[in-house]
Amino acid sequence: MSQPITINVNGKDHAVEADPDSMLLYALRDDLKLHGPKFGCGLSQCGACTVIIDGAATRSCVTPLASVEGTRITTLEGLGTLEKPHPLQQAFIDEQAVQCGYCINGMIMTAKAFLDGNPQPTRDDIKQALNDNLCRCGTHMRIVRAVERAAKTGQAQAGQAKGG
Amino acid sequence: MNTRPEDLHDNDRHETGTLPLSRRNFLKGTAGLVVAFAIVDPTAAIAAAETAADSVGSPDSGKLYAWLAIRPDNTATLFTGKVETGTGVETALAQIAAEELEFPINRLDVVMGTTSQTVDQGPTYGSMAVRYAGPQIRHAAAAARKALLDLAAARFKLPAQQLEAKEGVVSIIGTSGKSVTFGELVAGKRLDIAIEASGSGFGLKVAPDAPVKDPSTYAVVGQPVRRKDIPGKVTGQFTYIQDVRVDGMLHGRVVRPYGVGAKLESVDETGLKDIPGFVQVVRSGNFLGVVAETEWAAIQAAEKLGSGLDPEGPQAGQAKWSDWQGLPEQDAVWDTLKKTTGTNNSVAAKGSVDLALPFAAKTIQATYKTPFQMHGSIGPSCAIADVKADSATFWAGTQMPHQMRADMAEMLGIPEDRIDVKWFEASGAYGRNGLEHVIPDAALMSKAVGRPVRVQWMRWDEHGWEPKGPPILQELTGALDKDGNVVAWRHHMWVPTTGDTRLIAVELAGLPQIGSEGTGDSAIGYAYTFDNADVACHGMGRVGLLTAWLRSPAQFETTYAMEAFIDEMAAAAGQDPLSFRLRSLDDKRAIDVLRAAAEAYGWDSRPSPAPQQDGKLAKGRGIAWVNRDDVRVATIADVMVDRDSGAISVKRVVVAHDCGLVVNPDGLSNQIEGNVIQSLSRTLHEEVTFDRAHVTSRDWEGYPILRFEEIPDTIDIVLVNNRPEYPSYGGGEPSTCPTAAVISNAVYDAIGVRLRQTPFRPDRVKAAMSRTG
Ligand code: FES
Ligand code: FES
Repeated sequence: MSQPITINVNGKDHAVEADPDSMLLYALRDDLKLHGPKFGCGLSQCGACTVIIDGAATRSCVTPLASVEGTRITTLEGLGTLEKPHPLQQAFIDEQAVQCGYCINGMIMTAKAFLDGNPQPTRDDIKQALNDNLCRCGTHMRIVRAVERAAKTGQAQAGQAKGG
Repeated sequence: MNTRPEDLHDNDRHETGTLPLSRRNFLKGTAGLVVAFAIVDPTAAIAAAETAADSVGSPDSGKLYAWLAIRPDNTATLFTGKVETGTGVETALAQIAAEELEFPINRLDVVMGTTSQTVDQGPTYGSMAVRYAGPQIRHAAAAARKALLDLAAARFKLPAQQLEAKEGVVSIIGTSGKSVTFGELVAGKRLDIAIEASGSGFGLKVAPDAPVKDPSTYAVVGQPVRRKDIPGKVTGQFTYIQDVRVDGMLHGRVVRPYGVGAKLESVDETGLKDIPGFVQVVRSGNFLGVVAETEWAAIQAAEKLGSGLDPEGPQAGQAKWSDWQGLPEQDAVWDTLKKTTGTNNSVAAKGSVDLALPFAAKTIQATYKTPFQMHGSIGPSCAIADVKADSATFWAGTQMPHQMRADMAEMLGIPEDRIDVKWFEASGAYGRNGLEHVIPDAALMSKAVGRPVRVQWMRWDEHGWEPKGPPILQELTGALDKDGNVVAWRHHMWVPTTGDTRLIAVELAGLPQIGSEGTGDSAIGYAYTFDNADVACHGMGRVGLLTAWLRSPAQFETTYAMEAFIDEMAAAAGQDPLSFRLRSLDDKRAIDVLRAAAEAYGWDSRPSPAPQQDGKLAKGRGIAWVNRDDVRVATIADVMVDRDSGAISVKRVVVAHDCGLVVNPDGLSNQIEGNVIQSLSRTLHEEVTFDRAHVTSRDWEGYPILRFEEIPDTIDIVLVNNRPEYPSYGGGEPSTCPTAAVISNAVYDAIGVRLRQTPFRPDRVKAAMSRTG
C-alpha cells in the first residue's frame, strides 16, 4: 500500500507517496520527473537505470524505495548541468561518446563511482568496470575513451565532493 | 507562446540555447503574403492557435515556412520530416541547411518528425536520410537564402547581385558599412514564400532551380561539427519519448499472448482492484492491456494477468490463453524456409552454370545459415496516445511518423489531418522495432479509457515481440578451372519478408489489416564478373515470427555468405584472398576501398590459412567488402582464436569507407564504429531462441550482446572518395555488412576451420573444429 516516503536526491529531500516495495526508478522518473535514470530492462541486466547511492553505483530498477530512506542518492542531473557539466560529462561531450545516448546515464554514473575509487585506471580496468553496462549502438570505443579522458585530466576527483 | 505541456517538452528537446519555437504559431494566421503576428507576442500566438481550423495536417512542402523559420533574434529552425535515430542525422541535416542558408549552425535548431510541423520526406531508414532528405533541405535553404537576398535588395535599394549573405547577415559586397541580419529582414513573420515542390517522400523535389552552392566551396558540410543533442543527453536534460509526460496521463502495459498465435479465452480480474491506482483492463479480441494511475500499478496488474519474464504456461496467469504451438522447430527453421513457397527472383543470370560445372577442375558447395536476430534497443518501445472521438494526438519515437499518422487514421477512422504525431527521439532502433507497434497499443488503451495513456513495453515484451531480423538460408556452388579461375558461381537465398508492416495490436484485436506482409527480397549485392553466374532469391512472407528490416536488411547475411564463400574459393585455388577478389572485379570504387583497407592494414599477399601456428592461441586475418546502395565498404580484421575454448576475440579492425562526400566526418566515424561493434555482436553472440509457442530469449541473459571486455583494441577508418564531386550517400548501416564474413574468413585463416552459421559461439567453433579434424 502507498505511504509517504522521504528520499534524498541530489542533495534535497523529496516526499513521495508510494508503495515501499515499488522501485526507486519509478519514483525518480515519475514523481521527481528526472530524465537521467532510464528504464532499460527492470532486471538489473543493462545498467540504464544506474544512480549513485552513498557512493555506490546502484541499479534503481531493482532497488525498493523502502531501502533507500536515509541514504543520499545522486542522479545524472546531480553531477553537472548543461552550463556547467561535470568533468565526466564534459569528457563524453569532448569524445562525442553518444549515439542514441539511452545507455549513457548508466555509463557515466557507473564510471563516476568507479573513478572515485580508482582515479588512475588502465584501459582494461575501465572495460571491466563497465562490462555489465550494455550499449546497443556500439558506442563502446568512445565511451572507453571518454572515461580515460576524464581519468587523465584527474578532474573526476575534483567533482567528487559535489557528486556524492 | 503556446503553453501546452507537450510544447514544454519540445523546449527541453532542443538545447542549443535558442528560443523554442512552435511551428503552429507560424502557421496560424490570416492568408496573405505573410502572417500578421510576431512570435515574440505570446497573446497573438495563442489567439492564432485558438482561431485555427481543426486541421493538424502537415505544412505545404511548396512553402518556405514548411522548411525554415527565422526569428527576430537571428536564430532559426529547420523543419524536417526525418527523425534522429542516434546516428547524428539531426546535426548532419542542420549542417546542410546552415551551409546553403549561410547561417551560423549554432543558432540553428532542428524540429524533426512531428507531423503537424514537418513535411513527409519518407521514413528514416536505409541510410537514406542524408542521401534523399539532404538535397531537399539543401534546395529549400538555398531558396531561402535567395529570398533573403531579395528582401535585403529591396531594403537597400540595390540589385541582389551586389549583396552577399554570410553567417546570417546580408551585407553589401566590398563595403563594411551597411548590413542587416536575417532576423531583421524576416521581422518575426513566417516565410510565406512559394517554392516549387513536386513528388513526395524520398522522391520529393524541392526548389529545383534554387541557386545551390558549389560543393567545392563548402565550409560547414564536411566539418566535424559537434552533435547538438549530446550535451543534453549526458546531463539528463534531454527528453526521450520515454521521458514525455502529458497532463492527465495514465500508464498502460500490454499483456501479450503466451503463444504467438494464441487466443484469449478468459480474463480473471480478481485482485486487480486491490492494486492502488489500478484503473481497468482493456480487452479487444486477443489484445490485452492494463491501465493504471502509476507505472508500478500497471506493472503489478499486468503481472497478475500473466506478463513476465518466464511465464509458466498459457493458463498460468489470470489471463487464460489457448495452447498454441505453431512455431517451427528452432533448429529446423532453415528447412522450413526451403519448404515454404514464395517468389523466385533472379538477381544475376549470366552464361550457364550448369553447362560450366562438368568441365570444372574443382567444385565446392556450401550452405550458410543465419538465425532470427533482434534489434534489441536498450530502451523498450514507448508511446503516448490521446484518442478522442474525432481527433487524436500521439507522442511517439517511430522512424516513420507520417506513415504512422496514416495507419492510425485508418485504424481509428479519424481523418489524417485531425491526427498529430509528435515525435521524440527514442533509444536507438536500427530498423523497424517495437516503436511503431506500441502506438496502436497506446491508441487502443486510450480509446478505451478516454484519457491519454502512456504505454511502455517491459523488457520481455520487447525481446519477445519486437519484429525480428529474418533467418536466412543460403546455398552456394562455385567451380574453378585448373588455373584457379572461377568458371561458375551459384548463390541462392531463401528469406522471409523483411518488410512486414502489419501492426501487432491490429492483428491481435482482429481489426481490418493495415500495412502488408511483404515478401523476402534479394539483398545480394552481386558484383563479381564471373562468366557463368546464377544468383537468385526465394522470398516468402511471414515464417514463424514477425519479421521486419534490421540494420542493412538481409544484406548483413548475404554479404556473409557471398564474401565467406569467395574466400572458400580463394583458399581452394590456393590464392591470396584479396588478389583473388580483385581479379574478378571491375567496380572501381570497390577496388579502391579494398586497396585502401589493405594498405592501411599492411596486407601482405599470401593464401589462407596462415602458416601453421602452434599453441593454444592462433591469429588470423580476414577481409570482405560490400556494395550497399552505392556505398562501398571494405573491412579487414585480426582475430585470435582460442583452440581450447573455441572463443574468438577480435583485435584490430580496419574499415575503408566510400559514401561519397561526407557531411560530418566525426559523425560518420561514430557510425562506423557503432556498425562494427554491433555487427560483431551479431556475428559472435546473437540468436533469437524460441519454442513452439513463443520467443524464449526474453531478456539480455537469453539474448546476450557484445560487452566492453570483448571490444576490439582499435577500429581504424579510412575515408575513400570523400570529395565534393561525389554525392553524399548514407553511412548509417553499410559498414555492418562485411563483418560476419570478415570474422569467418579470419577464423579460417587462423585455424583452417570454416564457420558457416552465425553466431560463432565457442561451442559452434569447437564443433566446427572437430568436424574439420
Ligand atoms: S533498467 Fe536497471 S539494469 Fe536495466
Ligand atoms: S548510445 Fe545507444 S545504447 Fe548506447
